[in-house]
Amino acid sequence: MAERVGIVAVAQTKYSPDRADAHEGELAYEAIKQVLDETGLKYGHDGESIDSAVTCSQDFWDGRTIANLNVNPYVGAHLSHEVKVAEDGVNAVYVAMAEVMGGHHKASIVVAHAKESMTSFRLAENAGLDAIWLRQLGLDNWSAAALQAKRYMHKYGITPEQCAQVVVKNRKNAKNNPFAQEPMDLTVEDVLGSPIVSTPLRQLDFKPHSDGAVAMILCGETLAKKITPKPIWILGASNCYETHYLGDRDLAEADALIKAAAKAYKMAGISDPGKELDLAEISEPVSYQELLWMEGLGFCGRGEGGRFIETGTTQMGGKIPVNPSGGTLAGNPDGVAGMARVAEAVLQLRNEAGARQVPGAKVALAHGVTGVCGQLQAVMILGNS
Amino acid sequence: MTQQSSQEQELIRINYGTPRPYKWATGKYIGKLYKEAKENKQLVTNRCPQCKQLLWPPIAFCGRCKVDAGEDWVVMNQRGTVVQYTYLVVPMWDPHYGEKFANPYPTATIKLDDGAYLVSRLQEQDPEKLKVGMRVEAVWKEEGRGTGMGDVLYFRTIEE
Repeated sequence: MAERVGIVAVAQTKYSPDRADAHEGELAYEAIKQVLDETGLKYGHDGESIDSAVTCSQDFWDGRTIANLNVNPYVGAHLSHEVKVAEDGVNAVYVAMAEVMGGHHKASIVVAHAKESMTSFRLAENAGLDAIWLRQLGLDNWSAAALQAKRYMHKYGITPEQCAQVVVKNRKNAKNNPFAQEPMDLTVEDVLGSPIVSTPLRQLDFKPHSDGAVAMILCGETLAKKITPKPIWILGASNCYETHYLGDRDLAEADALIKAAAKAYKMAGISDPGKELDLAEISEPVSYQELLWMEGLGFCGRGEGGRFIETGTTQMGGKIPVNPSGGTLAGNPDGVAGMARVAEAVLQLRNEAGARQVPGAKVALAHGVTGVCGQLQAVMILGNS
Repeated sequence: MTQQSSQEQELIRINYGTPRPYKWATGKYIGKLYKEAKENKQLVTNRCPQCKQLLWPPIAFCGRCKVDAGEDWVVMNQRGTVVQYTYLVVPMWDPHYGEKFANPYPTATIKLDDGAYLVSRLQEQDPEKLKVGMRVEAVWKEEGRGTGMGDVLYFRTIEE
């Protein structure tokens, strides 16, 4: 029987619109140094050191066909094992979990970095689309998200006000998160008064451009308990891909997320997520996505995301606070965002989340998303007992 | 449309020719090397506190020893010895500025006398005179762009 896998340390940089002062490796090292110092772990192959690295980065953001190049010296990948994941960081954590669970490695350091300031945001996002089919339409995550928002609003009567409530809640929560890039006091009217980007979505419906990094260390139960009195266990993890072509999908449905969540819940023994989860950190680079993803995660029924947020259930102090950290909307880079959700869930379960702490949190969900309109959905369930 | 025989499907490809802009931060460590190269025509780097070797390019972490590298900065002697070389017959062009290199200078790994291994170009273009072990010294461009090793024109052969 494989050992349980625990996360023994997490660290994030403060997220920032332009870290012109830092080389990518130096940026990542800000987070890496913290997890090395906190655990006292070294890189090595003696069975009690970090013998694996999983990095997460995107070549189009970094402008190299090896976006991991400048981070690898810092994760011990000199004559040692390393795997790069070029999707959301939740999948990097998943790979590290599988490496440790399989017994192939004893301890794995996982690092995601991105500096969206280094290139054209729109060209980089456009590059995520199929080269001979969709790119030439000038689609990017803004316009594609707007198509999805329109479909979701049309099918289920979701209102711009309900989407704006996500922005108001998360930007306000971000005020309690020292790593958050853009905490803001906003009203629904502020969001609805911000400039139109692509109908029906406005500037404040989107996350700001962001630079930053996140790091964590995973190991098996025996080693984890030696390292920290507060290991956080990965209870369930899964991901599911959706077809790329938007015309093949009903964009008002989160079918891939429903499947990913079902598998992760089954692994974690969760039958009623709305009751059994103490909080959720959900990747929502665009406002309406938090509503749609909550449906996919089974927090409410299909098409009920808008009415669900109006109940206040997902606010701080509600039954299941969603994005106490402020979420991706408060500013996280692409690829880093989902892993930041895992890091925030870990802080909550360690009772180290400061002013954003959900009292007595025992089980938390972290969600990551990659690709256009949530093409790849990843779910992780974490617990502290 | 290209005329093809009725049995063959026309081969269609989609071209992409738009430049993708990037601005890479040199950061604290490599940034210091670039500044010293531009302002003082000096090659500086930091020394690993554990193995005592000079790191190149400068970096905050020694990949070999896997320890924090700190800031023991050293101004390097610009003389060294050729470790290996190749004569680039089909020269690459400068990918940042699009300029063709004036000459297909031989590319070489040079071990500086202080111990760091640099990859740069050699002045010597006569294949008969290129030798592993030859002694060389850095020659700087008169007007560098502030791009570190890009401001070194080549390493010239020296007699000692």
